[in-house]
Amino acid sequence: MQTINVKVNGTTYQESVPIRMLLVDFIREVVGLTGTHVSCTYEGVCGACTIHLNGEAVKSCMLLAVQADGHEITTVEGLANDKELSPLQKAFNEQHGLQCGFCTAGVLMNMTEFLAKNPNPSDDEIRHGLIGNLCRCTGYVHIVNAVRAAAKSIAN
Amino acid sequence: MYPAHIESYYRPTTVAEALAAITRQPEGDSMFLAGGQSLMQAIKSRMVRPTSIVDLQSVAELRGIDQANGLRIGAMTRYVEIAEYEQFPAAYAALRDAAERVGDRQVRNRGTIGGSVCWNYVASCLPSVVLALNGTMSLASADGSIRDVKAKDFIIAPLETARREDEILLCVSWPKPPPKTGSAYKKWGLVTDALPVVGMCVSISLDDLGKCRTAQVAVAGLADGAQIADAGGAALIGSAGDEASISAAMNDVADSVETHSDHWADASYREQLIKRLGVEVTLRAFARARR
Amino acid sequence: MASNPQKTNDSWMGSRLARKEDLRLVTGQGKYISDIVLPRMLHAVFVRSDRAHAKIVSIDTSAALALPGVVCVVTGDDIVDELRSMPQPVLLPNLPAKYPTFYPLCVGKVKFHGAPVALVIARDKYVAEDAAELVEIEYEELPVVVDPEAALEPGAPLINEDHDDNEIFSMTFTGGTTQAEHDANDKEVEEIFQNADVTIKERFRVHRTGLTPMEPRGVLCDWSDSDGLTAWITTQRPHIDRLAIIDLLDIPADKVRVIAPRDQGGGFGVKAPFFRENVIIAHMARKLGQPVRWIESRYESLMNVGQERDQINYLEVAATQDGKLLALRNRGIADNGTGETGVYWGFVMPFLGAVELPNTYTWDKADVKLRVAVTNKACLTPSRAFGHFPTRFAIERAVDMIAHKIGMEPSDLRRKNLIPHLPYTSTTGEYYDSGDFVQVWDNLMSHIDMAKFREEQQAARSEGRYIGIGFGTGVELSGMASEVLVPMENQPGYGAASVRLDPRGTALVFGGDAPGGQGHETSVAQIVASAFGIEPQDTVTTTGDTATTPFGSGTIGARGASYFMSAVHNACVEIKVKIARILAHDLGISATLDDFEFVDGQVVLRSDRSVKKSFRDIVERIIMHPINMPPGEVGGLEATVYFEAAKPMICFNADFCTVEVDIHSGEFKITKWVSSEDVGNVINPLIVDGQMHGAIVQGLSNTMFEEFIYNDQGQQLTADFENYKIANAADMPDIEVTYSPSPCPHTPLGTRGIGEGRPSSVPGALSNAICDALLPFGIEITELPLRPGAIWKKIQESQA
Repeated sequence: MQTINVKVNGTTYQESVPIRMLLVDFIREVVGLTGTHVSCTYEGVCGACTIHLNGEAVKSCMLLAVQADGHEITTVEGLANDKELSPLQKAFNEQHGLQCGFCTAGVLMNMTEFLAKNPNPSDDEIRHGLIGNLCRCTGYVHIVNAVRAAAKSIAN
Repeated sequence: MYPAHIESYYRPTTVAEALAAITRQPEGDSMFLAGGQSLMQAIKSRMVRPTSIVDLQSVAELRGIDQANGLRIGAMTRYVEIAEYEQFPAAYAALRDAAERVGDRQVRNRGTIGGSVCWNYVASCLPSVVLALNGTMSLASADGSIRDVKAKDFIIAPLETARREDEILLCVSWPKPPPKTGSAYKKWGLVTDALPVVGMCVSISLDDLGKCRTAQVAVAGLADGAQIADAGGAALIGSAGDEASISAAMNDVADSVETHSDHWADASYREQLIKRLGVEVTLRAFARARR
Repeated sequence: MASNPQKTNDSWMGSRLARKEDLRLVTGQGKYISDIVLPRMLHAVFVRSDRAHAKIVSIDTSAALALPGVVCVVTGDDIVDELRSMPQPVLLPNLPAKYPTFYPLCVGKVKFHGAPVALVIARDKYVAEDAAELVEIEYEELPVVVDPEAALEPGAPLINEDHDDNEIFSMTFTGGTTQAEHDANDKEVEEIFQNADVTIKERFRVHRTGLTPMEPRGVLCDWSDSDGLTAWITTQRPHIDRLAIIDLLDIPADKVRVIAPRDQGGGFGVKAPFFRENVIIAHMARKLGQPVRWIESRYESLMNVGQERDQINYLEVAATQDGKLLALRNRGIADNGTGETGVYWGFVMPFLGAVELPNTYTWDKADVKLRVAVTNKACLTPSRAFGHFPTRFAIERAVDMIAHKIGMEPSDLRRKNLIPHLPYTSTTGEYYDSGDFVQVWDNLMSHIDMAKFREEQQAARSEGRYIGIGFGTGVELSGMASEVLVPMENQPGYGAASVRLDPRGTALVFGGDAPGGQGHETSVAQIVASAFGIEPQDTVTTTGDTATTPFGSGTIGARGASYFMSAVHNACVEIKVKIARILAHDLGISATLDDFEFVDGQVVLRSDRSVKKSFRDIVERIIMHPINMPPGEVGGLEATVYFEAAKPMICFNADFCTVEVDIHSGEFKITKWVSSEDVGNVINPLIVDGQMHGAIVQGLSNTMFEEFIYNDQGQQLTADFENYKIANAADMPDIEVTYSPSPCPHTPLGTRGIGEGRPSSVPGALSNAICDALLPFGIEITELPLRPGAIWKKIQESQA
């Protein structure tokens, strides 16, 4: 067991965890935020568990919780600002960018960072940026529409 | 799908501390963890079971790209930093070609060049790039010594390198680029940016007349992992960068390496990919060398 | 792209309303099975077979049991006397087949790589996995059968030893019911072939692929001696699962409640069967008196479920020189896997695939036969495009091959042979109720100028570029009437819904189906809001809980907009009739429902619009103040309605795509994808667009990337996403969905259920486009997947 200090969505958690505990399990089971999902289980290819570690999109199933000691994490629960949905969250609703919602948290976390770095992306850039998030429901069309719409909305 | 029991976790801040930590456990039980984008897969599937993890995330001296004296890329430099680095000389531009197409955004935000070459997965991009570009790996030991190993001696076989388990890779480095030198990399996978079924990296130096003076070709995705194709390098010498001569050279490459069949591509298609990608990247390397 | 929908004509029907479900899902507040945690909950991990066919000699669980934190380790032998075997009647279709007997854990032998051999239960999921590694199983290898044709050979090693061969199911689909009738039919078909101007005969092979919901399966069971079993299961059929558990565990019917979590990460048919894992988790929760949860890993999921298609179709087509299709003859062989899955048993999918072979075309005669072979592979599980992905690939390719042979435009040949008028009964006996295939086709063709495309194609070829266009059509069942579903799956087809009004004027809707992303909460809210003249946010929908919802056969086969939504609407109407009756009484007038309009939160008298009452007030009056009522009337506003359509229903689509093929690598790029759909009256076009996009991309991903591969020893080589490749965003085209709807005459709102069968026109359309591009090389694709290497090889061979 090792004691770690991790700030999650602005709140610091000091917890004792087994060294082998995955960060995604820490977030879901210790902190109790279950919006971050597990889909591919071990490979780190589906992107459903994507969070921000110090502001960057990473897959939380590919990290041990102890690796996050001293760092700041944002999860999908931390995207809305005082209950006000972020432009990307709003766009996903308006453009029907999700169906079952299982991949959605990861998509939102990845694309939030993507848009911060690429405020005016082409559709090809959006599609390329989405490679790390598998979605089985939408065929990606409405996801691309939503990211494009969010970029516009942020620019205005 | 979950790691086996792990006894201890260290997060050193210096190379010296890291080396001290790795030698604290019996050999084989302790592993350096870089970006973890491959190693964590292996740990979670229990293919490897380290009892001790030495996490290199806080070792500042392992990070960064520096061109003060040639090109030095710290082992813990992430793909995203290489992909977004705009000052690569043409000679080393293949590094960026490869890094910006590794995995996906999330992987590039974590994965490192050092982790990739030290893991040396059978189908991966960076090992072939350091081979074609003839990089130098600097390895430090707990006794304070540092040894330099050329990429061709470092990359041995899939999941096997010249690094001893008690050594740490400090950086990959190159001398100041020779003039009129260019490089390029491209891979093919079934889906965009997948692990390479075939990847081709070519480095070209031109003489004053614009003819190929030296060349090095490396192939990724072979059954034995990334390999230098000497035949390709030799065949390109004297080429003026025309498609016919390049094409002939890539035919030599395809003939000289052993391709295998699997569910992505059979051996003959792999040969075709080597030729197709080889021509494309060689043309690009020529174009970069001329700039 | 209207993102700010307005209701039209005082109705929310047809509005692009943003979904109600989304608020919780985009903020991480969804509740999926792995988010449900109970006090004292234990974690289960299966130990799965690493052999494809082997006798279990011994299992040593001692080391696993000795690990601190491990509660128990059970094997097949431990449970064989504690619960009933499958099949039980509720899980058997009314189709003659050789159903295997099996238990949730393998008893005696393992029949496929990945079969559950033992179950470890521990207090911690990491420890459960540690213990699973320590279970030692000794096997004795048995001969492995992985080829379906070899499996059907006399003397092939037996896989299900309770039967005398590996043919689980066979059927003749054409020409009556007796052998004499079949023979007479087949003779007539043979005569057509003998006399036809043109025929083709090919072996069409579609690989093993299917669907992989992003959320794998999961089961959480809780037992109390007073209330019995509560089981949360990732399922499309909670009511069926409940009956199965009652029968298999012999628990009194009033002591089992199944809940499909409100949020499920996709189903696509994969969560429609009844799985053996459900039984053992429920059994162990009862036995231990403690909650037990199993969350499937991706590895397990890819080893066990989502495997479908996998058919060989020896298809022959006869036609006239001017492009009239005359007859088809097909010998289908399907690779069933072991058959150890409740409800479908693997073969029900190829059964429907054979039924749907004639597709949208008229045929004078057909001779269609199917044989389904048991092999040492995971049992087929349904995947969207249930059984007909391979047969539709075959027929759509065959149509193009005929067109190529007679030098006719494939699009012209299709239009010439489309079923001109509905209703129509296909040569395999499938009833097509309504719609206009020709109108949908003409709408599709209005999006492409064929003459211009052919000019561009010629010009491109002269530059060494190869572009092509391909077409595909598809007819799919819009839900399944009881007359279809009872024989096929031994379940009712009707839709059921309860609508209950709240004294504050809002609506609660209860349905027994269990959606996984289809947007039921939004579509229901639009129907209820339109019916009562209230706002969509005033409706709350509960699905999937057998304790609170009326019986439903599940979220399967496009039953949403056809059956469930019709039941919701009819329940609303029933309530409105009562409201009208009481309101007329209160107003002291003689009036019925037709005299009132429910609009903008008011109930308005049509003949004098100044006479009105707020909806909330009249609802509150009827529920809370049931005095001074009409004679014989009592208070309360609630209705449960079962809806059965008069006829089985269909919907229909036609697609085209354009591609560019690189002849030096075999790589191709999809440059355009356009669909034309008859989906009846649309409740929410935004949702329907999304269903179509998803289905088409699933079809593309199956066609281009995904393949479950077993080697000769039955080892499955593709149990991770690195090897089982799913399309990512960068590989998929934008998709243009267009509509040419005709209202369904058999549903109250003219709606049709959509989306289930939708992927199946995709492999034909895409393959046809590639063959069209490569027409100068004379290449005809007959096998999937469409790998660039295989296409390149065909080009090489044609040049040799």
